[in-house]
Amino acid sequence: EFRFGPCRVEGVVLPELWEAFWAVKNTVQAQDDITSVRLLKAQVLQNVSDAESCYLVHSLLKFYLNTVFKNYHSKIAKVKILKSFSSLANNFIDIVSKLQPSKDKDMLSISESAHRRFMLFRRAFKQMDTEVALVKAFGEVDILLTWMQKFYQL
Amino acid sequence: ARTTEDTACPLQYVKFQSRNFENILVWDSGPDSSPDTVYSVEYKRYGDRVWLAKAGCQRTTQKSCNLTMETGNLTELYYARVKAVCPGRKQNNKTTDRFSSLQHTTIKPPDVTCIPKVRSIQMLIHPTLTPIRSENGHQLTLEEIFRDLFYRLELRVNHTYQMHLEGKQREYEFLGLTPDTEFIGAITILAPMWSKESAPYVCRVKTLPDRTW
Amino acid sequence: MKHLLMWNPVAQPRETVLYSVEYQGEYESLYMSHIWIPSSQCSPTNGLECDVTDDVTATVPYNFRVRAMLGSQTSAWSTLEHPFNRNSTVLVAPRMEVTEHGLHLVVKLEDLGPQFEFLVVYWRKEPGATEHVKVVKSGNTPVHLETMEPGAMYCVKAQAWVKAIGRHSTFSQIQCVDMQGESLPL
Repeated sequence: EFRFGPCRVEGVVLPELWEAFWAVKNTVQAQDDITSVRLLKAQVLQNVSDAESCYLVHSLLKFYLNTVFKNYHSKIAKVKILKSFSSLANNFIDIVSKLQPSKDKDMLSISESAHRRFMLFRRAFKQMDTEVALVKAFGEVDILLTWMQKFYQL
Repeated sequence: ARTTEDTACPLQYVKFQSRNFENILVWDSGPDSSPDTVYSVEYKRYGDRVWLAKAGCQRTTQKSCNLTMETGNLTELYYARVKAVCPGRKQNNKTTDRFSSLQHTTIKPPDVTCIPKVRSIQMLIHPTLTPIRSENGHQLTLEEIFRDLFYRLELRVNHTYQMHLEGKQREYEFLGLTPDTEFIGAITILAPMWSKESAPYVCRVKTLPDRTW
Repeated sequence: MKHLLMWNPVAQPRETVLYSVEYQGEYESLYMSHIWIPSSQCSPTNGLECDVTDDVTATVPYNFRVRAMLGSQTSAWSTLEHPFNRNSTVLVAPRMEVTEHGLHLVVKLEDLGPQFEFLVVYWRKEPGATEHVKVVKSGNTPVHLETMEPGAMYCVKAQAWVKAIGRHSTFSQIQCVDMQGESLPL
């Protein structure tokens, strides 16, 4: 299960997500030839406290569902990529549906800190051409999974 | 017609090979390559603009280059590229796929000492050091990198069944064995979260004769 | 876990009718409902069932649809009435074989696939016995449980566990072994 601070998510098998991404990794990342830009930079994901993690993962996964996957879908030509894409997207929906970030007032500063990190990522995304940014963001799912893995208990 | 001058210097299969975080860049020249071909290697972090030349792998005739120290940060991803220069042909460049040692490295078999006794066999698994260093310079073991890492030990007993032991500790003992009998032990390292499993270390051991009669 | 989609045949005497299966997860139905994905195993098939286990890779509701094909003719799609979620899977108790090899108590479990682990509980049959538990990661390989004492009887039961849906089966029937005799189902 995932433990993002107080947020628990059961029933997601992380190796299944990795398997889905690895099946398309080289194909997708080869489409991204701007190797001098990284959206999920160190400042977004490093030294995230447990308390922040629930807010941050919720924001990131929702962005991936509502923006990245939604618009990247039309670029998918191969059924193999479609299946991996579907597996990732449906597991992200499962995770988001089980995340309950606290809305307590005393958590405001923590949620704002997480929001600032998310905005770093979102700003970098918006600064790029949309099509290019979609490909780059989908190619960086492994960076996202590597970070999420820190909160995963077998 | 295409003269030799038009064709690029042959260069193919530029990729990282990684075992226990020893990251080696390898490539191949292809069938009609010239022995005078020289290669130069550059690398960079994903997200960086500047490519860095790898000292020791400039204008080399070798077809591999050790980039372990240059690609040792586990939170980073990397690219490397090779430039091939050969007489009478255009220079050729090829870049690797995006490389993450955490995702790509394979785990070597563990180093184990199998100690036979009269009615048991002891197995001592030695820690596996990697080239990866923590922020304070401490050299990390596989166990420190993969927190879900555990060992699986199997002892094949006369082809009918196996005894299994499993855990995170490094000392194990298979008990209740028949004296003066040969057994085959197989010990693997697993890191399930990364779907990694080493090849087994195999030891063939014979329990000691029972001289108490 | 094994998920089978089944349907009734299209009556077409002396003709070979093929069927094609497609699916969409909750994401597709919410964000792009026009998108359906061909099933891995049955696009097409001449059978009346389809193993969709490899298609269902998340614990969310999945829609399925099937259509018949005969030559160039294709039927309308027939869609599953209620979406399927793998957490509704019914787990049955695993089959198990308990034997003794010399002094060793050995159990062999049914191989149910990569998603399964087994919880094996065993004890020495005596008043106030202590139950021991062993997690067995995969079936099909005989596993040593205990080195027994001559003359004692040992009993074993097992249940299947699937991490992906966080569920376990009921326990199997208890089987006991004594050092001299065969295993005795209780």
